Amino acid sequence: MSLWISLAWHSAWSRRFALALVTVSVSVSVLILLGVQQLREDARRSFSNALSGVDLIVGPRGSATELMLYSVFQIGRPSRNMGISGYEEIRRMPQVRWAVPIQLGDSYNGHPVLGTTATLFTEFKSQGKGLQWTQGRAFGNPADNSDAMSEVVLGAEVARRFGHRVGDKLVLTHGAGGGPEDTDHDDHPLTIVGILAATGAPIDRTVLVNLEGFEAMHQGWGMGISPKSLKSAAAALPQVANPQDLQPVSLSAVWVGLHNRAEVFSVRRKIESFNRDPLMAVLPGVALDELWQVVKVVENSLVLIGMLVAVSAMLSVAAVLLVAMSGRRKELAILRAMGAAPRALLGFVLLESVLVCLLGIVCGYAVSQLLMWGAQDVLRTGFGVMVQPGLPSGESLVSLAALFSVAVLASLMPAWRAYRLSLMDGLHPPAL
Amino acid sequence: MSKSAIHLRALTHAWTGQPPLFQIEELTVTQGKHLFIQGPSGCGKSTLLSLLAGVQAVQNGVCQVLGQDMAALTAVQRDRLRGEQMGVIFQQFNLLSYLDVQANVLMPTRLFPSRAAASSRAWGSPADQAKALAQALGLAEKMWRQPINQLSVGQQQRVAAVRALMGAPELVIADEPTSALDDARQLEFLDLLLHTAEKQNTSVIMVSHNARLAHRFDQVFEMHAGGHS
Repeated sequence: MSLWISLAWHSAWSRRFALALVTVSVSVSVLILLGVQQLREDARRSFSNALSGVDLIVGPRGSATELMLYSVFQIGRPSRNMGISGYEEIRRMPQVRWAVPIQLGDSYNGHPVLGTTATLFTEFKSQGKGLQWTQGRAFGNPADNSDAMSEVVLGAEVARRFGHRVGDKLVLTHGAGGGPEDTDHDDHPLTIVGILAATGAPIDRTVLVNLEGFEAMHQGWGMGISPKSLKSAAAALPQVANPQDLQPVSLSAVWVGLHNRAEVFSVRRKIESFNRDPLMAVLPGVALDELWQVVKVVENSLVLIGMLVAVSAMLSVAAVLLVAMSGRRKELAILRAMGAAPRALLGFVLLESVLVCLLGIVCGYAVSQLLMWGAQDVLRTGFGVMVQPGLPSGESLVSLAALFSVAVLASLMPAWRAYRLSLMDGLHPPAL
Repeated sequence: MSKSAIHLRALTHAWTGQPPLFQIEELTVTQGKHLFIQGPSGCGKSTLLSLLAGVQAVQNGVCQVLGQDMAALTAVQRDRLRGEQMGVIFQQFNLLSYLDVQANVLMPTRLFPSRAAASSRAWGSPADQAKALAQALGLAEKMWRQPINQLSVGQQQRVAAVRALMGAPELVIADEPTSALDDARQLEFLDLLLHTAEKQNTSVIMVSHNARLAHRFDQVFEMHAGGHS
């Protein structure tokens, strides 16, 4: 057997340029197929892990998918807010263990700013783990200490990207920034008091401030216009507000954790029947499933395209080897003369094309993992997707097995041709 | 009576729907003796060699090769007989271009352990026999590691002869092995081949259209197109 492997290797090496090309074509097809599949798998895992500790997301009535996307992944923006009274009411419900208000709208160099309370730091879970601190501490409670209003906590990615440390000062931007107006909150510089450890969740990309601090920055703003541009109004602004007066009147969303997850449906029903405000309570898992249902069509067509490309690459290997077989009749006759049975030659050719396909599959997989490894920062910060390069698993493993089966089937064509030719030619192949 | 390398009787062969290609009443070659087969193109010389080598199945008549009735063997058994106890030399392109000289020469002993064993019994190892044969056939040792395409046609034919003789097969079948060579080189090659074969009691059966080579053989067999021989 080892003799045949060595022979197949030498024979293939002598035709390495043609074979390298088909190997590359197999690699590219595998790269496409596995890339799509793995991104899909990793995206799903990252998205569902990002919210593993939250039982309900509450927001103004509307689209559940939208609520989840903007409140958790900071994708898109809320079109309406919910009243603060809803949050107070939820917090008082006996089944609710914790409730974290979420206020969105500002940004810091493109990173979303989350106005919330310190409860978030103790209750939020990502990948089943609580938040850890690399530096500093949570922001304080402005009710106890009015300085806490100008305290800010950074997600790992934000701190890394701008090289911020505890003690640094920064200025947030109203809205997403980039507009023609001067929309910086430079009248409210904030001090970094803590930096979170990386979690892989969208929180890594966010800047967290007190709800009261968030409100303080927006004192005097109306219709998205900075009070600085209204000179007379700016002069009339109180410089230090009383924290008790800075409770916001509305919120973007509320994250809710329950004592007992089994009560999630009854709590949801209760929240959605609050009289004052039409609210919606969303189970993150269910909302994600709805989102995947929408994305599925696109994903599936990508996977289908990947599969077709892969199959066509395998067929091209078979075609190239099939055509090459006519040029190898002499080689087959020499091996026949030395006593090799036609069946052995079938195996010999099969071995070669299977190895070519296998090499293509392995290279394609390796390149896909290298690319993911290289792009993992971009994928995490830009899309919130934590990729896990490494050995194949789950869906990828099934695809690899399927690809290999197709490779063996395609390889049977040139092998069968070799068998027929060696029977037909015997020791006398047609002169070349 | 000494053993016969081949023994044919009333052997005929025909392509489907056509008259017999040849009919051989009787032909016997004693083990160790050499046979020269000559005849015009199309008289079935190559087909006869294919029958002797066991590549084609016998249709009619007796075809005994190295004591085996070829008609009674399966295709795989015939392949095995060829691999273990025969050597084959073609007119040209005998060698696998992607292997060097040494690897080509050692192929038969790598394919069949019995052949390697025979080689080791008489010469110590297949590599030693290969060296001895190469020397006998006038191949320099520095060629050993050369790729095939750097050799001249004459050198390639000698390498093919070394390969055919590896493991001391009882029979070497040669199909026009000299016709790609210059006239002057033909006899030289033939003498080296026959002489070396004799030393290990190998019978050589050779087909050629060049009748001037016939006198070097113990036996000459003439074939005629379509007819009796």
